[in-house]
Amino acid sequence: MHIPENYLSPATCGVMAAAMVPVWAHAVKKVSVELPKEKMPLLGVGAAFSFLGMMFNVPLVGGTTGHAVGGTLIALLFGPDAACIAVSIALLIQALLFGDGGILAFGANCFNMAFILPYVGYFMYKLLLKAMDRSESGKDIYKYISAAVGSYIGINVAALFAAVEFGIQPLLFTDANGLALYCPYDLSVSIPAMLIPHLLVAGVVEAVFTVAIYAFVRKTAPDMLYENIKQTGSATEAKHSPIFALVAVLIAATPLGLLATGTAWGEWGADEIAEIENAGQALGYTPAGLANGWSLDVIMPDYTLGGVNEVAAYIFSAILGVALLIIFFKLASLFIKENKNGYAS
Amino acid sequence: MLPDWMKKSDNYAPPRDGGAFVVKTINSIGLVLSRLKVQRGHEKEHALPAVLKLFIVLSVIVLISVTQSRLLLIGVLAVTELYLSTWPAEDILSIVKACVFAAVLAFIIMLPAMILKPYGIGNNLIVILKVFLSVELMNIFNHTTQWNHITGALRKIHIPGIFVFTLDITLKYIVLLGTLINDLLTSLRLRSVGKNNKKYQSVGGVMGVTFMKSTEMSKEMYEAMVCRGFTDDYSGL
Repeated sequence: MHIPENYLSPATCGVMAAAMVPVWAHAVKKVSVELPKEKMPLLGVGAAFSFLGMMFNVPLVGGTTGHAVGGTLIALLFGPDAACIAVSIALLIQALLFGDGGILAFGANCFNMAFILPYVGYFMYKLLLKAMDRSESGKDIYKYISAAVGSYIGINVAALFAAVEFGIQPLLFTDANGLALYCPYDLSVSIPAMLIPHLLVAGVVEAVFTVAIYAFVRKTAPDMLYENIKQTGSATEAKHSPIFALVAVLIAATPLGLLATGTAWGEWGADEIAEIENAGQALGYTPAGLANGWSLDVIMPDYTLGGVNEVAAYIFSAILGVALLIIFFKLASLFIKENKNGYAS
Repeated sequence: MLPDWMKKSDNYAPPRDGGAFVVKTINSIGLVLSRLKVQRGHEKEHALPAVLKLFIVLSVIVLISVTQSRLLLIGVLAVTELYLSTWPAEDILSIVKACVFAAVLAFIIMLPAMILKPYGIGNNLIVILKVFLSVELMNIFNHTTQWNHITGALRKIHIPGIFVFTLDITLKYIVLLGTLINDLLTSLRLRSVGKNNKKYQSVGGVMGVTFMKSTEMSKEMYEAMVCRGFTDDYSGL
């Protein structure tokens, strides 16, 4: 679902980024008030789950691939505002270091995966939990079902938004010959192409990923959960070795994501797009915006280093991403402390 | 019988004073001193011997400088960041500050090349990454090893005695002279309550006293060394 560079017109990217600014501002404000300082490093672990989830590509119908995002999972663990920030940072690291998702399209990607996905997922979860669990028995099974359905709906709504962003490009931006400048497929193609695989496979993967890790965290580190953070404020320091063990297992398993060889829909490189077939017909040209567009040389495009051992590169990418996220949120916790002292004095 | 003036309550508030430099200097000197004296960093008791750590750090830095393999580079980066991520936040911040500064400097140096030859940006980024990584490794070593262990390790890898001696003495004298400056500034601050426009004139005094004290100290140390058999031959140190 990562929209690459040059698939969206700069105007679209600008609008999406502008739309994200108030969301980020709101999220940062709420998180710095709501989330206790000592929980911030744990938010890095949450972001690490999301980062790793996005590395597990699953093959989808029609030769493309998809992956879980884990936005709903972080929303369940730390609240939707914290999830917005965590997924944004994970996306930023992916865009800057690994070329997954464009720099210009960063706003759009954040809008889909860091705003729409966690908020929709979380509020669907809340809504369902209320509807199912009228007596407030607090049974785990209700929570798991709500989490599964919430995350399934969340990722599909996000995919729909991504499809609409792709689909309006040929309607708005064409050259004199009527050839598309950016993404060449309109809504009638992009919506089914994005939604069918997500409804059938990626949504299910997201739901399984969410429930599995949510259940694991509930059992092993209940102090990481949003509801408990809110109730008890700063709880006593707990050991999180099972959580870190799970992160290590996920890192070791990331090369499984290499099994899916196709390119996700809408993430082809400029050299691939002319041969992509749609309804039995190849596109036949490379849109001008893609051919001449701006692109950034990243150190590890697509988590690999042309030609060398892919498995090792993939594992190193996973370790690097996880470590950077944890470092980032540890540092963020320092600045939150300074802010709070500033207000007090 | 108390005199009248003693029964009145005074309400004296000294006017705002422009002598912030004294406080600032004291604070910054105190910071440097605490770094050297308290041996900041968190060297653990079961840490590797400093000489082994120094050897590993230097060989890894040489390795990443000469390597052509991006995989190796990313591997070292990943392992380093993973290690760093287990540290407490304050320690991470001090490391990251230094490396980011170095990387930004490298970026500025590379900037003209990047603008003139945009197809080489990939390679330029690798160089910046190498700078970042080298500074990070050195900083981690510095942060996890006490000063005296570092000089000891330098001696063990046969760095000439004169260098180690100079480094060691410099570090010790930074502490001694820093303490002296600190004392002088503190006494200046205590003696000049209220508004005092002549405060800046004392700066020269502070520097002068420090200089005289340092020459005196170096003379004393040389004499002490001669008394203990020093014959201007550093190689035996």
